[in-house]
Amino acid sequence: MAGSLRLQRLPSASPGIVLAARAAAIVMALVFAGIILAMTGANPIELASEVVDASFGSSFGMEDLGVLIIPLILTGLSVAVAQQIGAWNIGAEGQFYAGAFAAAAVGLFVPGPPALILALMFVAGLVGGAVWILVPTLARAYGNVNELITTLLLNFVAILLVYFVATNAWRDKMANSATPRLSAEIPEFWGSIHWGLPIAILAALLVTGLLAFSRWGYEVRLVGSNPSAANYAGVPVRRHLITVMLLSGAIAGLAGMLEIAGTVHRLQGGISNNYGYLGIMVAVLARSSAVGVIFSAALMAFILNSGIILQTQGLTTSTVLAITGLILFLTAIGDELAHYRIARDKA
Amino acid sequence: MDLLTGLFTTAFLAGGVLALAALGEVLAERVGVVNLGVEGLMAIGALTAIAAVAAIPSPTIGFLSALAVGALFGALFAFATVILRANQVLCGLALTLMGSGIASTIGRAYSGMPARATFAPIEVPLLSKIPVIGPAFFSQNILLYLIFIVLPVGLSYLMFRTRHGLNLRAVGENPAAADAAGIPVTLIRFAYVTAGSALAAGAGAYLTLTFVPSWSDGVVAGRGWIAVALVIFAGYRPIPAVLSGLLFGFITALGFVGQARGWPIAPAFLSMLPYLGTMAFIIVPVLAWQRMRRIMAAPAAIGVPYYRDLR
Repeated sequence: MAGSLRLQRLPSASPGIVLAARAAAIVMALVFAGIILAMTGANPIELASEVVDASFGSSFGMEDLGVLIIPLILTGLSVAVAQQIGAWNIGAEGQFYAGAFAAAAVGLFVPGPPALILALMFVAGLVGGAVWILVPTLARAYGNVNELITTLLLNFVAILLVYFVATNAWRDKMANSATPRLSAEIPEFWGSIHWGLPIAILAALLVTGLLAFSRWGYEVRLVGSNPSAANYAGVPVRRHLITVMLLSGAIAGLAGMLEIAGTVHRLQGGISNNYGYLGIMVAVLARSSAVGVIFSAALMAFILNSGIILQTQGLTTSTVLAITGLILFLTAIGDELAHYRIARDKA
Repeated sequence: MDLLTGLFTTAFLAGGVLALAALGEVLAERVGVVNLGVEGLMAIGALTAIAAVAAIPSPTIGFLSALAVGALFGALFAFATVILRANQVLCGLALTLMGSGIASTIGRAYSGMPARATFAPIEVPLLSKIPVIGPAFFSQNILLYLIFIVLPVGLSYLMFRTRHGLNLRAVGENPAAADAAGIPVTLIRFAYVTAGSALAAGAGAYLTLTFVPSWSDGVVAGRGWIAVALVIFAGYRPIPAVLSGLLFGFITALGFVGQARGWPIAPAFLSMLPYLGTMAFIIVPVLAWQRMRRIMAAPAAIGVPYYRDLR
């Protein structure tokens, strides 16, 4: 007699199945989005070919993608780093604004040669992002206050702050809702793609390399997977938590600095295309590998760029957010289902 | 209207939004599921209500359709997290992204449109003549009484005074023990997560049918997240959840009154008050009084999927 079939849940899923489940999730989400578009009267095949053509058909399209990848690599890295120690940084959006704010302060008000100003802006971006996550970090480290909510609430504060200075004290008399052009800017090396891209890639390689191969990285991952075991083994849990969360904030702040110094060139409201929130998606898809962060940032850049290209069809960055949410939802389900296998009972 | 009356009137309106959303989250978290989709559910509810009253100008229909759409999205979330047992944090964030994204995409057609029908204030005889609190609380719309009296008292009774309430709390504290005692863990989790989501969407509808009454992109503005934080602050109990909603309504009202009266503080900074206030209220008590941690403790099985076969 044949054995009966039953579902069995494995403690860990095989990477191959997880990858396949994720690919399926992305395809399903895009197909679903296409069906919705078709229901509104658009022709999804036509739109898709328009998107592919506009993204890869010209060097301009590739340049747009290259520019969008920069902040997404860094916000994705920011979320991924915090995840390594078991913390949810949902505040990358706010830290992005804080980094941009601090860098703009330097760029607007500190006189000096451009190279020096850029270096100072770089530091200011890192510090701005780290300062923005400081209170949630300390609250988590000393009071075990849920950092997911505190980091998120500060997003609204940062956006209000940037909006305020851009329309008031730092306002350009001509522009009304933005600051004057910053004195220094990051040079471009290919079309509109600036040196922020190699910096972001380097940052991703450096940070994930440290996490994977250094003693510090080993201890951080240990805390992330089992804090009490790490504590028992003599790992300074609280110190690592504080360092890693501040690093996470600093990376998101750097994204904001690169964005205003390389792409936007002035501080204004709405500089982030939800980069902080899309970074969550990048981090989840990447499963904390550097190559993963770069690839999933490229994927999210493509999806975001598609939304921007299709603005004439009534799509917005909010539509991109909705599609991203659907991908995240299906990915979470896929990750769980990948743990199951069908086993045959010996009868 | 004098300053105090205006302050309290706005506090009850703004606080009602937070209170209703927080009640919904209490339901989900009490049975052990963290629903971080509140912000998205509120956006969906807010838009559904506006769209519904644009078609049929009845606030009741607007509110009920928001509840229905909220329950639908809630059931989707519950299917993923309770039945398939996918990661609750990821699914919740996904729900927030989806809800906010869908609402603001569809909402472009309704942008700036005032609600065609709103809940009219009802003057309670005699009580509405009491100074300050009379006009502020006893001359308000019908939903306000539902949010501040009927729901919290009813839910509190259900949770802490009935057999069923004991069961549902057991599911949130120790699902394996509850299961062994014959309580249908999956069914209870599914039902309460769905009902809680409906209330969150209802909070969004309340926002666009009474408080703001119009749709604009980003109208929810983080209120869903504040509601999630309030649940922690309220120690996962219905009556404190509603009271802390009122407290934050008061903080919001302070910002509005400040803007209207031209206080020498920039509106942007007054708008930051609810977010910073929420931060302070969930951080300070824990750091100040160690004892608070035990009183305010979360249900033990919160955020943990339950696998019967893995016991």
